[in-house]
Amino acid sequence: MASRRRMLLKVIILGDSGVGKTSLMNQYVNKKFSNQYKATIGADFLTKEVQIDDRLFTLQIWDTAGQERFQSLGVAFYRGADCCVLVYDVNVMKSFDNLNNWREEFLIQASPSDPENFPFIVLGNKIDIDGGNSRVVSQKKAKAWCASKGNIPYFETSAKEGFNIEAAFQCIAQNALKNEPEEDIYLPDTIDVSGGARPQQSSGCEC
Amino acid sequence: MVPDAAAADEEKCLADGIGRLQHNAFYMHRALDSNNLKDALRYAGQMLSELRTSSLSPHKYYELYMRAFDELRKVEMFFVEETRRGTYSVTDLYELVQHAANILPRLYLLCTVGSVYIKSKEAPAKDVLKDLVEMCRGIQHPVRGLFLRSYLSQISRDKLPDIGSEFEGGANTVNDAIEFVLQNFTEMNKLWVRMQYQGPIGEKAKRGKERSELRDLVGKNLHVLSQLEGVDLDMYKETVLPRILEQVVNCKDELAQHYLMDCIIQVFPDEYHLQTLETLLSAFPQLQPTVDIKTVLSLLMDRLSNYAVSSTEVLPEFLQAEAFAKLNSAVGEVIEAQVDMPISGVITLYVSLLTFTLRIHPDRLDYMDQILGACVQRLSGKTKVEDSKATKQIIALLSAPLEKYKDISTALNLPNYPRVMDHLDNATNKVMSTIIIQNIMKNNTCISTADRVDTLLELIKGLVKETDEAQDDELDEEDFKEEQNSVARLIHMLRTDDAEEMFKIISTVRKHILLGGPKHLAFTVPPVVFSALKLLRHLQNQDGDVNGQEVSVTQKKIFQLLHQTIEALSSVPSPELALKLYLQCAEAANDCGLEPVSYEFLTQAFILYEEEMADSKVQVTAIHLIIGTLQRMNVFGIENRDTLTHKATGYSAKLLKKPDQCRAVYACSHLFWVNEQDGVKDGERVLLCLKRALRIANAAQQMNATRGSSGHVTLFIEMLNKYLYFLEKGNPQITSSAIHDLIDLIRTEIQSDNTTSDPSANAFFSSTMRYIEFHKQKGGSVGENYEQIKV
Repeated sequence: MASRRRMLLKVIILGDSGVGKTSLMNQYVNKKFSNQYKATIGADFLTKEVQIDDRLFTLQIWDTAGQERFQSLGVAFYRGADCCVLVYDVNVMKSFDNLNNWREEFLIQASPSDPENFPFIVLGNKIDIDGGNSRVVSQKKAKAWCASKGNIPYFETSAKEGFNIEAAFQCIAQNALKNEPEEDIYLPDTIDVSGGARPQQSSGCEC
Repeated sequence: MVPDAAAADEEKCLADGIGRLQHNAFYMHRALDSNNLKDALRYAGQMLSELRTSSLSPHKYYELYMRAFDELRKVEMFFVEETRRGTYSVTDLYELVQHAANILPRLYLLCTVGSVYIKSKEAPAKDVLKDLVEMCRGIQHPVRGLFLRSYLSQISRDKLPDIGSEFEGGANTVNDAIEFVLQNFTEMNKLWVRMQYQGPIGEKAKRGKERSELRDLVGKNLHVLSQLEGVDLDMYKETVLPRILEQVVNCKDELAQHYLMDCIIQVFPDEYHLQTLETLLSAFPQLQPTVDIKTVLSLLMDRLSNYAVSSTEVLPEFLQAEAFAKLNSAVGEVIEAQVDMPISGVITLYVSLLTFTLRIHPDRLDYMDQILGACVQRLSGKTKVEDSKATKQIIALLSAPLEKYKDISTALNLPNYPRVMDHLDNATNKVMSTIIIQNIMKNNTCISTADRVDTLLELIKGLVKETDEAQDDELDEEDFKEEQNSVARLIHMLRTDDAEEMFKIISTVRKHILLGGPKHLAFTVPPVVFSALKLLRHLQNQDGDVNGQEVSVTQKKIFQLLHQTIEALSSVPSPELALKLYLQCAEAANDCGLEPVSYEFLTQAFILYEEEMADSKVQVTAIHLIIGTLQRMNVFGIENRDTLTHKATGYSAKLLKKPDQCRAVYACSHLFWVNEQDGVKDGERVLLCLKRALRIANAAQQMNATRGSSGHVTLFIEMLNKYLYFLEKGNPQITSSAIHDLIDLIRTEIQSDNTTSDPSANAFFSSTMRYIEFHKQKGGSVGENYEQIKV
């Protein structure tokens, strides 16, 4: 059972609206890219098999809505995450400034057992735009921020050109694997030796 | 139940549910580990039974659902492994899971196996999907149904027979994928809408809130559609959009319509919207009258505006799509259809439309004016807009063209621009006026025709005119100053090099500012006066090439206008300001060689001095200004000059304090000695003034002596300096003996005054003496005058 559990690595992608979260996931999983902006609603994931040290893992990559009004059900899906990817657009200062909010929000909501050492990864996306001329967040600045938050690994990516995507997700998977399982091991009060079913306690209708 | 108790109750319910879920999951895992499929399925069923609860709000239910969801991933992995290994066939599993006792667990398990089934490709994806989406109809409880279907949507997400997908091909086409998602979407929307009408009427608000929490489950289907490769423009235009809109319009639900329209706009790409604008917009008037269409429509226009500026290549698309005409008529129709829309909503729509137009058709001022005109129409018949939301929107509306063109002239060309402004209340008019002025200053725009000046000042009358409301008293003094200073700055921007037009501009400005109250005038009259004085100088400079007579006629007209303008200040308690302006004008008239005009202005200044200036300090400043001005005048004949200098000297000697008298009188000495060529050089009268000043100084000194206070030795040193000045300038009336007497006098004073010696006076005297010494040694033409002086 423990081995089965560890075969699945859950990754959450967070960041402002329009920074390219969906595009990063699509480029990594489907090798596809579209220039058109399409908002994401709620949260959903794609999976991808990934090999680390000769072992196969399933990466469950959760893409989320950057616009708050499309996150009506809350963030219960943060639970059990093994790694959190923070994305910003190197051409939009605000998206970088907001990384801190996303990080803190995640730590509060997901409440990992060891928040100090929970693995984050920062991606500075859209470095292809205008040949880098419209860039407003320098690599130095981003790296300094990452260093100040406990040496978060930092990658500069282009979902459009597929630049650095593979390397970034390889790092994401490795860090997710390092994360100790969050799940509290459930121990039943009494061991049901008979293996019989407990009586139904639900109050719902019989559907 | 009280909310807190209810919340605690719900919290407990969730904890219990999670507990039971974990318990069953534990045994399920044990069974899976020992490959006991029968037990595993039984525990899985029991675990999933927790999702049958009705006592959780959507948020809490979602938490429980996520737990079950994570557990089901492990079941799925087990299925994948075991079918791969050949322990079970996937078709058997698909049958087997249907033995679960309750329908909800059964369907969750069915979906889970279904996912493995599709992956195994043992059956066409479309058949499995169709089966699953049909089977899910078995759950008609809205919350449970919505979550189940969202589970189905999630597990099928990467298995849809989309173009380029491994599950496409053969009998499976992208049409099946789209059909599946649309069907799931339709069913989910129905469940979601029906929820509004279930349960007690009293809990309607609570249901609204719960439905709002659930909305993303429905909307996510649209996101899935937008991510499908196969949904290209044609597919979107022909199938997807019409089908979605059909569902949106027909559900007749306010919440659903507002949310789903927003979703459509946000999840599908801009170019799709542009190419299907007519279809999309035609849905708006069909929505329920209570739907907040303005927000959604504004979002659409904002999105398209941003798209338009993203690349120059897309602009032709907009023109081709006749986007403006379509949006314009849609806005009109929506406003017509929603009679209860607040005026702020109406303006919001027009702001978005205007922003859109500015970006797509910056050259079409007629469009701009059309939008403003439509606004005026909606505003007319109503009282001034005071609702803060609405006024904010109007300001945004009126600011947009200014920001775009950076030139107020463009706005002044729009006939409807001032009409919109007319609908603002005083406070907002002021805010908008300030924005206009700031825009002019920032962009350094000159307004160079009288007509435009007239329009502009009419536009910002909130700042220029006196308002009859008593509220003005409450106005913060600082704010008022700020406002009026900005008007003053603006007046300097109203200019042209064409003298004739400039005169018209000044007359126009004058006409407007005279409508202002006394407090306004103190700020607005000076810039008008200086504008006019500048024009005078301009005329003088081009004297040569223009007909001289014509120039002097214009000059006289300007002086007349100046006279009348400054006169307006007499009703205002600021005589000092008026006096300064009269003196400026007198000097200007002097420069133009207009003796009577100059005389008249000085006369006005003296009248003000006599009648309005009672404070002795004010008098001192004023008389020195008069003396200074008079000294520079050269236009006067002997008679006029005598009259004026006589007056100035007379007033000087009548000042309240002796030292002030003394200083003013010795200043008057300069009136009789002008160093320019042909200047007056009346040595005798200079001496008369100095002697008179000396007498006053003596009197002051004696008054002090009787009082026992410190002497006015400084006055004597100042007098000494005056004597030296005129000695230097070669006034023959200044004798060395007079200077010697004065030096002796000062020395005696300083010595006798040793009890209260004044260090600054001592220093002043020694440097004066050093100055004499310096010139004596230096020699030359100036030094000659000093020869006679013995130190």
